[in-house]
Amino acid sequence: MNILNIAWKGIKTEFRDIKTLIFLLAFPILLMLVLGTALSNTFTTSLPVDDLHVLYKDTTQEGSFQQFIKAAEKSGMHFKKVTDQVDGKKEVKRSTFDGYVEVTENGVQLYVNDDNSIKGSILQGMVSGYVDKYNIASEIMKTAPDKLNAAFTAGEQRDFIKETSLNPNKQPGSMDYYAIVITTMIVLYGALPASSLIVSERVRRTADRLIAAPVRKSEIFIGKVLGSLVSNGLCVILVILFSKLLFKANWGDHLGLVFLVLLTEVVFAISLGIGISFLTKSSAAPQVIIMIMVQLSSFFGGAYFKIDNPEGIFKLITELSPLTWMNEAITKIIYANDFAAVIPAISINLIGSFLLLLVAIISLQRREGL
Amino acid sequence: MNVLEIKNVTKKFADFIAVDNMSLAVAEGEIFGFLGANGAGKSTTINMIAGLLRCNDGIISILGKNSAKHSRFAKMNLGMVPQDLAIYEDMTAYENVKFFAGLYGLRGAELHDLVVEALEFVGLQDKHKSYPNSFSGGMKRRLNIACAIAHRPKLIIMDEPTVGIDPQSRNYILNSVKKLNEMGCTIIYTSHYMEEVEEICSRIAIIDHGKIIAEGTKEQLKSLITNTKDLWIEVKSSENLNIQAIKEIPGVEAVSIEEYFIKINSDTGVNNLNKIIEHLINNGIEIRGLQEKAPNLETVFLTLTGRNLRDQ
Repeated sequence: MNILNIAWKGIKTEFRDIKTLIFLLAFPILLMLVLGTALSNTFTTSLPVDDLHVLYKDTTQEGSFQQFIKAAEKSGMHFKKVTDQVDGKKEVKRSTFDGYVEVTENGVQLYVNDDNSIKGSILQGMVSGYVDKYNIASEIMKTAPDKLNAAFTAGEQRDFIKETSLNPNKQPGSMDYYAIVITTMIVLYGALPASSLIVSERVRRTADRLIAAPVRKSEIFIGKVLGSLVSNGLCVILVILFSKLLFKANWGDHLGLVFLVLLTEVVFAISLGIGISFLTKSSAAPQVIIMIMVQLSSFFGGAYFKIDNPEGIFKLITELSPLTWMNEAITKIIYANDFAAVIPAISINLIGSFLLLLVAIISLQRREGL
Repeated sequence: MNVLEIKNVTKKFADFIAVDNMSLAVAEGEIFGFLGANGAGKSTTINMIAGLLRCNDGIISILGKNSAKHSRFAKMNLGMVPQDLAIYEDMTAYENVKFFAGLYGLRGAELHDLVVEALEFVGLQDKHKSYPNSFSGGMKRRLNIACAIAHRPKLIIMDEPTVGIDPQSRNYILNSVKKLNEMGCTIIYTSHYMEEVEEICSRIAIIDHGKIIAEGTKEQLKSLITNTKDLWIEVKSSENLNIQAIKEIPGVEAVSIEEYFIKINSDTGVNNLNKIIEHLINNGIEIRGLQEKAPNLETVFLTLTGRNLRDQ
């Protein structure tokens, strides 16, 4: 019963503390709003491409390339026939035009500028499509010329390039991304108040009164951890709800599992705070150490900006951040229904918590008083 | 019946012996005073009685039971008023008392009634919804006491409960201590204010260097130094006073200064008044008055320990 008494007192006082509430609730919501809005362009899945301007020279007698031009102009491509005074290749080099096509009886030659590879690729794809069609038509002409019309009019196809995304709707937008990473970051920040769970009792001298009461040290310890766990867990639920309702952040269809992973991170954060408070001598040192640890973990865990495909030593550093594992696990649950990613994240959190709490328990047993 | 018994208790911190083979007994219904300068060992003794520190040697019994073996029983019967305020600033007066009383297994209506009773006892019933940060120093001290008494302990330890408060609050607390004692509580009381101890304690132990060097009623303690007298010499200024030189005058046992008074404890069998006055005049100290007083507890303490109670 004393455990519940101590836990309830902890929950009550934590929710009364305006500074804690601002930090654990208002701060993450504001940060999601700021980063999610400011960096939304980083997360767009479409790429706007301006109109394409193409020079061409057609020396063939039949009009298939003219048909291609007609079809392509409907897609925002503008063709201009090159005059004798103009060198098409030079114009492309000077970026006056995006490409230069030479159509002769021997085939099609395409020149594009490497400075704009996207436009070049699009042009290349369209011209390849045209060439393929032209080749097919030539073959049909050789074998069955009477079938040519039927072959090209049935199911008329004017798309020279068709892009099909492998995973079209399963990518987080900026608000979805920041809802996850800011939540996991703020959970880790829970180590800060946790570091003063026991220390504050010593500083306020209430530790003596607690020890003088018929309460075991273990009851005080468990009560403190339990209270912190519940209050931090409630804050996580509120942050998730706010981000879901206010910013329409996507938390997926397995919210229970996501919350379970976050709950193990809450346990880890509390254990980190308590463990460090027992490893250091002064009451101010844990706050400084935790602040540095959380900042670095947040930076390398992608809390401020998305880190795509890190390599080498940078990859190793990002993997040292517990937030990397957390964010990856939650993202995979939400966007890929991949539950296996949960195992390393939960394991890291729980094993880390066990070791840190063990340090705290041994220290607590050794010392007189709290 | 003894509420508290300490038998051959020793406490060491590395090589330093804070409490050295101490023994004492406190009977039911006593207000027992602990006198000792800073570092004498009284706080360590109190902390061992309250279960905050473990003793290296010896036995502490509360209500006849070894407190090390029957920790829960001992703690259930004990209330601790620590020297430093031990209250939560982010909880109301009522919540503070309720939380601490709740740790003693009290619940529901019984808990509520006892909390209200404790707040009434210390005169904070009207402030039960207020937070301690709006309290004066005296009110905080009273709340500190309420948190220790709500569960109705048989033995209450009060470690300097009147430090840093106004005279009105001090009187309130001293009257509360007497009232608690009348209600049947046994009290262990420590203070730097000799007059407080003299006023309320039925028995006193003087502790020095971790040992009890004298113990008894105030009359018994005063009788230890019947062969001495106190000379109170009022001077204009004590700037040029050489205490050591006065101590070397035959018959002088102890010397202390309190504002414009030089207090000299001297052997009644030695007539040294002329020499003392001569010494002061020769050193340019202007004498404004002189009186002889019967020794008080402070004199006893000074004589036995060689230092003032407030010496660091």
